[in-house]
Amino acid sequence: MSVPAVFDYHPVQSVDEAIALLQLYGDEAKILAGGHSLLPAMKLRLTQPEHLIDIGPIPNLAYIRKEKDAIVLGTLTRYKQIEQSEILHKYYPILPEGTALIGDQQVRNRGTIGGSVAHSDPAGDMPGIVLALKAQLVVQGANGTRTIAADDFFVDTFLTALEQDEIVTAIRLPLPAPHTGSAYAKISNKASHYAIAGCAAVLTINKKGLCTSASIAITGASTRIIRASEVEAALISKKLDDATITSASSHAVANADLISDIHGSAEYRQQMAAVITRRVIMHALERA
Amino acid sequence: MELEVHINGVIEGLDAVTNESLLSLLRREGYSSVKRGCETGECGACTVLVDGIARPSCVMLASQVGGCTVSTVESLGSAEKLHPLQSAFVEVGATGCGFCTSGMLLSAFALLQNNPSPTEEDVRDALSGNLCRCNGYARPVQAVLRAAALLRGERVEPLAHPTVSVDEVSSVATEQVASGESGKHPILQTSAAASGSGGVTTKIPVISAQMLAPSTPVVPAPRTQLHVIGTATAAHHAVKAVTGKGTFAGDFEPRKMAYARVLTSPHAHAVISSIDVSQAKALPEVLAVLTYKDVPRTPYARIERTGETSLLDQYCLDYVVRYVGDRVAVVVAETAEVAEEALRLIKVEYDVQPAILDQRRAMEPGAVRVHAERESLGIVDAERNIATRVRTEIGDVEQGFASSDHVIETEYLVPAIQQAPIEKYTVTTYFDADDYLVVRTNSQIPNYLRRTLAQLTGLPMRRIRVEQPEIGGHLGLRQHIEGEDLCALLTLATRRPVRLEYTREDEFRSNHVHQQYILRMKTGVRRDGKILASQMVVFADTGAYGTHALTAQSHTVHALALYPCANMRFLAEVLYTNHAPASLSQTYELQHEFFALESHLDDVARQLEMDALALRRLNWLQAGARYPLPLAVGASRGMNTIIDSKGLSTCLQLVEEKIGWKTKRNQRKNDRYRRGVGIALGFYGEPGVLPGTSGASIKLNEEGSFELFAGRSENGSQLTTYLTQIAAEVLGVTTEDILLHAADTSSTPFENSANDVVSFYLNGSAVKKAAEQMLRQILSVAGRILNVLPESLKINHGIIKGAHGMQTTLEQVAQHSLYVENRQLMTTSFWKGQTFPMTFAAQGVEVEVDVETGGVRVLNVVTAIDAGNPINPMLSEAQIEGDVAQALGLSLSEEFFYNQDGVPLLKSWSDAHVFSATEMPELQTYLVESHEGSELFGSKAVAGLAFYGVAPALANAILNAADIRIRYLAFTPERILRAIHAYMSRKSA
Repeated sequence: MSVPAVFDYHPVQSVDEAIALLQLYGDEAKILAGGHSLLPAMKLRLTQPEHLIDIGPIPNLAYIRKEKDAIVLGTLTRYKQIEQSEILHKYYPILPEGTALIGDQQVRNRGTIGGSVAHSDPAGDMPGIVLALKAQLVVQGANGTRTIAADDFFVDTFLTALEQDEIVTAIRLPLPAPHTGSAYAKISNKASHYAIAGCAAVLTINKKGLCTSASIAITGASTRIIRASEVEAALISKKLDDATITSASSHAVANADLISDIHGSAEYRQQMAAVITRRVIMHALERA
Repeated sequence: MELEVHINGVIEGLDAVTNESLLSLLRREGYSSVKRGCETGECGACTVLVDGIARPSCVMLASQVGGCTVSTVESLGSAEKLHPLQSAFVEVGATGCGFCTSGMLLSAFALLQNNPSPTEEDVRDALSGNLCRCNGYARPVQAVLRAAALLRGERVEPLAHPTVSVDEVSSVATEQVASGESGKHPILQTSAAASGSGGVTTKIPVISAQMLAPSTPVVPAPRTQLHVIGTATAAHHAVKAVTGKGTFAGDFEPRKMAYARVLTSPHAHAVISSIDVSQAKALPEVLAVLTYKDVPRTPYARIERTGETSLLDQYCLDYVVRYVGDRVAVVVAETAEVAEEALRLIKVEYDVQPAILDQRRAMEPGAVRVHAERESLGIVDAERNIATRVRTEIGDVEQGFASSDHVIETEYLVPAIQQAPIEKYTVTTYFDADDYLVVRTNSQIPNYLRRTLAQLTGLPMRRIRVEQPEIGGHLGLRQHIEGEDLCALLTLATRRPVRLEYTREDEFRSNHVHQQYILRMKTGVRRDGKILASQMVVFADTGAYGTHALTAQSHTVHALALYPCANMRFLAEVLYTNHAPASLSQTYELQHEFFALESHLDDVARQLEMDALALRRLNWLQAGARYPLPLAVGASRGMNTIIDSKGLSTCLQLVEEKIGWKTKRNQRKNDRYRRGVGIALGFYGEPGVLPGTSGASIKLNEEGSFELFAGRSENGSQLTTYLTQIAAEVLGVTTEDILLHAADTSSTPFENSANDVVSFYLNGSAVKKAAEQMLRQILSVAGRILNVLPESLKINHGIIKGAHGMQTTLEQVAQHSLYVENRQLMTTSFWKGQTFPMTFAAQGVEVEVDVETGGVRVLNVVTAIDAGNPINPMLSEAQIEGDVAQALGLSLSEEFFYNQDGVPLLKSWSDAHVFSATEMPELQTYLVESHEGSELFGSKAVAGLAFYGVAPALANAILNAADIRIRYLAFTPERILRAIHAYMSRKSA
């Protein structure tokens, strides 16, 4: 349909205001950020919130800044800003690399990192990248502010560790250790560019050329955003030669619940997860 | 809530409900340049600038733009003062059907605001959110780069549209034809290597020295004495398109409009055992609900089958539903949302029947009958679900196979797709002030609609008027009755204007699809490559109703005829299934036949270890030959059509050269990325005489301009531009002097073209004839003014000149005739179906196959079409590029999936896998000029021809690159990878 079901619209000027409304309306409310996922879902009646809380007007939530031990992104930071951020290109090229692959330019003009993270769509790119970066999600609720590790944040398909009255306000990325490389790539559909299988990798190599830290996440292939722990285990403390990487990558979606649909069968997604994981690890390694 | 919005520089205080989208608000306020293509933020037709940033307005709430600046294309420039971007779109022919143009312009504008010197990649990225189905993105990208240069103050090169002359470059090819006829084909020479190695006198093909000539020169064709024909005149509707003034079916709103929604079947095949609409009717604001109980059970056909026996198997509403998405009931209410809500209140009980979901099962004994009812008429064999069949044969095919050295058999499958124009299906019906039922629709069959609606509504034809606005992409999906009957019945029931506008999901679920074909090829060849017998068997899935699969199979031209031999057979069974009914391609429906034929030819060449092009050259249809197959259509006449086009060999030579056949054909590598090239040929034309007619009227206005009335509106194929060029050429004026009125049954002449090729010749010739008659009348009047014989006069640039400097103007002639002779100069003419010349094409593709992922990257598509003397080379090229873009989708990514219960799985654009601007490869397009054939200034139709060769050329290129042969479209990465794995396991075994 061309219009969503009727709802009350609440543009808010502050996070506190948003939280107060969330407390008031509970289940019946949804937060509106960029709107590219939520509004189509509402038109298709996949979700019918009675109250829409538009956090767009809140000032000072779109920023990328370097702090002492972290790079911090405000929740309303748009993909376009990430794509053009010099800080991110320097420290974590994986992020601008990932945003450049999202949908089309109109989506990137409007979509926000906080929106994507809170939406937790397994076909999205940001959740996987944030997971691989071991980000801390700064969350504000009625009881104040807390941080949730990305690993604890993404619970299931479209489900996060956010409480009813909480919203994500910032994403903190720990500064990379020396000799850390990161990369993201995906195999995607025409036009929409949703991932059939994608991989985000962050690797640290020591002076002996051994891998001291590996953080790998898989997007698109599975029904939820997953950390490829078996791949990581197979890389840690190893010299990352082709054979090691190839063998490690074959476990990319081990035990995962794979999607099988018109865009790609589970079997294909499994194979592609392995292929793309190998390619991404190689790329991250070059950057380390 | 109240909003203050700056729209195009004006502060407006507006009222919006909270759930209204910005798109809806803007259209409500009259900004109809903002188009509705999907409502889910995927197609970009509704792009606007919000605070300077390009965004789809459908996924933004009106409430969100309070205090913002919103710009639509109306703010860029007006017709009097176009913005350089708008001018560039007009100049390079970037507007296509015009439906996506506004959105593209705004995306481009936003880009240039931030980046005055974009690269091509930047431009493609900026346009990546604006889907287009008719122009292949090449021209919009070119236009943006050109406008950027102009805005930077740089000089830009004038646009050139060189064509290639067949006479200049085809000497080699002509010699081949000549010597081929004398029996000694130069490309079949005894290879030294072969005779030296074994003493066997097997002839293997080698490439002749002449064919290895370094480069095919692109020689501009000499221009004949024409002033308007052959020039890159801007598209007739281009200025309208770039200023957002195009009025499509949804851009006109009568007052007090009500909105219809259709309840559709969830089952592929079922009988409605009970239906209760009482709750729906009781819902406030519901105006009417119709089910099969409320309408007469009159069988009719959704499509016009010109001159053929009718097949009537459709009912406005029926108690049997035959595909998921088939009509069950229709509701009209004050808003579409209320109508939608009412649909949910209709209680239906279905007696679910077994369904046929594969046409191969349709004829099996015991298969369920899709049409068991008695009322339907004209079905060939309802018992076996055969809607119709075509059989045509020459010689003794079995004997031909028996005497062949090799007989090669292969099977191909072309799955269903949906063409999915960006504009959605939209119809509005209302009674006008004269109490005429007006039907305004984007189905392009106005006269057939008028006739059929008269039967179905009981209104006399004189009280029905069908208006044909511009169409936001026809693509073969807009040539049937989709919902006009339901909408008209609702207007009759309520006396209210009623609109039925599909959602994108409705389009995928209920509208027709380009049907699935299964084709079996069998060819018998002599060892030297000469084809002795050939056979093509087609199983076409017409879906639940006998629609376009019938017309498609029974037209007079067949791909098989490209390689004539003494023994040929073409068989087609058009079968009912419980799928959506069949649509067609915008021109001749032959892409499946060429996919099978041209893939198969490479298979034959491989078996013979022969060069695939040499095999084609040895066997192809030659100029001077007769069209080989008997014609399938009963009503056709003129069986002795002689092929007069010499363009094919030039086309192939060009493509062979440009794609790098000789250098790239044999570069076999073993890395991850394998490259290969493939070539395929195609053609169409009308060897028989199709019934059908088209009229045109021309009226001279007193200022010397002309009103031209013609039957077919613009649909993206640029017909209206061609028509104005033809009239302008004959009448010695510019296209600006020709005011075209197209397709309104109350004012324009009858026409019933079967497709855009037929309409090119029929409408074009009717306009030419009417213009010639008009010219004679003008010269007679001028002769009387100047007191000379009309034969001594010539007209040019609106001035009529005789000997000794005597002259008069068109305006003087018009005024003289109106006010002195008291005569209105007006002519009406018609053109009936007859034989049309053949247009040939060669297409080459270079691919890179990623053997780890199965991904196919198309590096280059080269298309050469023998266009005769093209009416408008720029627009013809644009058309060809659009056809290639669509063909790439068909070949690589688009597929209409059903689940095991026959439920279509496509819901939105992201499921359709169409190409966006960033995914398009390089396109090289050549128009080869030849000087024979058409009476229409020697020009030939090119629309849709480039749709044929891409899939087989890709198949052949993939075979060349990775040694895998896939006979099942589309070549998705998954399918390719599976084939690679199968190949590798065969190889290791």
